[in-house]
Amino acid sequence: MEFNDGFPNYEVIAQHDNEAGVGVRKRLMNVFWLLLVITLIELTVGWFWHDIKESMHLSQTWLIIVFIFFTVVKAGYIVMAFMHLGDENKWMRWMILGPYALFIVYLIYMVTVTEGAYSLGFRDLLNPVTKVAHSEHAEHHE
Amino acid sequence: MSSHAIAKPQGWEGGTSPLATSHGKLFMWFFLISDALTFSGLLVALGFFRHKFHDVWPVSTDVFTHFPFTHAHLPLVYVGWMTFDLILSSVTMVLAVEAGHRKDNNAVLLWMGLTIIGGAIFVGSQVWEWAIFINGSHDGAMRWQFIDGQWIEKVFYGANLHYNEYSVTPHYADFFFCVTGFHGFHVFSGVVINIITFIMAYRGVFQKRGHYEWIEKVGLYWHFVDLVWVFVFTFFYLL
Repeated sequence: MEFNDGFPNYEVIAQHDNEAGVGVRKRLMNVFWLLLVITLIELTVGWFWHDIKESMHLSQTWLIIVFIFFTVVKAGYIVMAFMHLGDENKWMRWMILGPYALFIVYLIYMVTVTEGAYSLGFRDLLNPVTKVAHSEHAEHHE
Repeated sequence: MSSHAIAKPQGWEGGTSPLATSHGKLFMWFFLISDALTFSGLLVALGFFRHKFHDVWPVSTDVFTHFPFTHAHLPLVYVGWMTFDLILSSVTMVLAVEAGHRKDNNAVLLWMGLTIIGGAIFVGSQVWEWAIFINGSHDGAMRWQFIDGQWIEKVFYGANLHYNEYSVTPHYADFFFCVTGFHGFHVFSGVVINIITFIMAYRGVFQKRGHYEWIEKVGLYWHFVDLVWVFVFTFFYLL
């Protein structure tokens, strides 16, 4: 017996003809070139960072901000264009991105603000090797 | 009650899916969200430990300097090549999905084949990078090591989960193995799924079904692997 609940077949709706395919492929290749260019910029900045930092008197925070910005742009293009989330229903988009964003914002808040604040003291507890090295170092100086 | 006729239906009236998508794709997305949360946990933990050990955490331009078949000093070039390879295999995957929308079985076979090759090259590259990382340099570095019940300072080469020559803290190598290993296993399983998909397309399974939605679901997983690498690339290698 064939199962038929009267719902439309969304997998069939997604199909397109050869003419429409030309435009779709062109858009996808544009996204590819964009991702490639951003990656090359990232590598170049990473490679020459020490020189850039010294000549322009920048702090490490700038590098972090720039790289996180590039990463989020790349991730956005991959999710929206390659994973076709941009072509999905508006509520589908919200259902995927909303709860995830909520969890991540809470996780980062928890680790950086709440849990990260008091953990400076237990650094040696995290690392037995440096603890031994430090205590030996101290003995040599005595 | 029946006298109150509603002139214009508001909201969802039933009969159609409110999200206008199939069950398979929806649940693939649910799986990817949970997987993304796992990776986010790993990367946030990496950020936490980097912050705690910022003074002894090595710069990756000093660690990842090797390139196959040459002894030249090429920092991050190999990682850049791996990123390029994964983006390339991502674009061939999305072209396979597009070919599926046109029901062009030969194009699906071509692009799936190229995606499998790109994924296999990535897994091989990661194996090579692990081998270089574990074996280390000829110089090594002085490390306090727990040998025969006592702490001794002697030269250590390469890396394991307890010591590594790149940093005095073991967490550097631990996070390298954990983050890239977890991602590498995803790539490996993605390649296996892609090979299964290639065989299915070759045997005409999708032509019989009348649609290529399977390719779309496999594509979601494969692009997710690329997406995770974008973050690993930034937070482990670049920063």
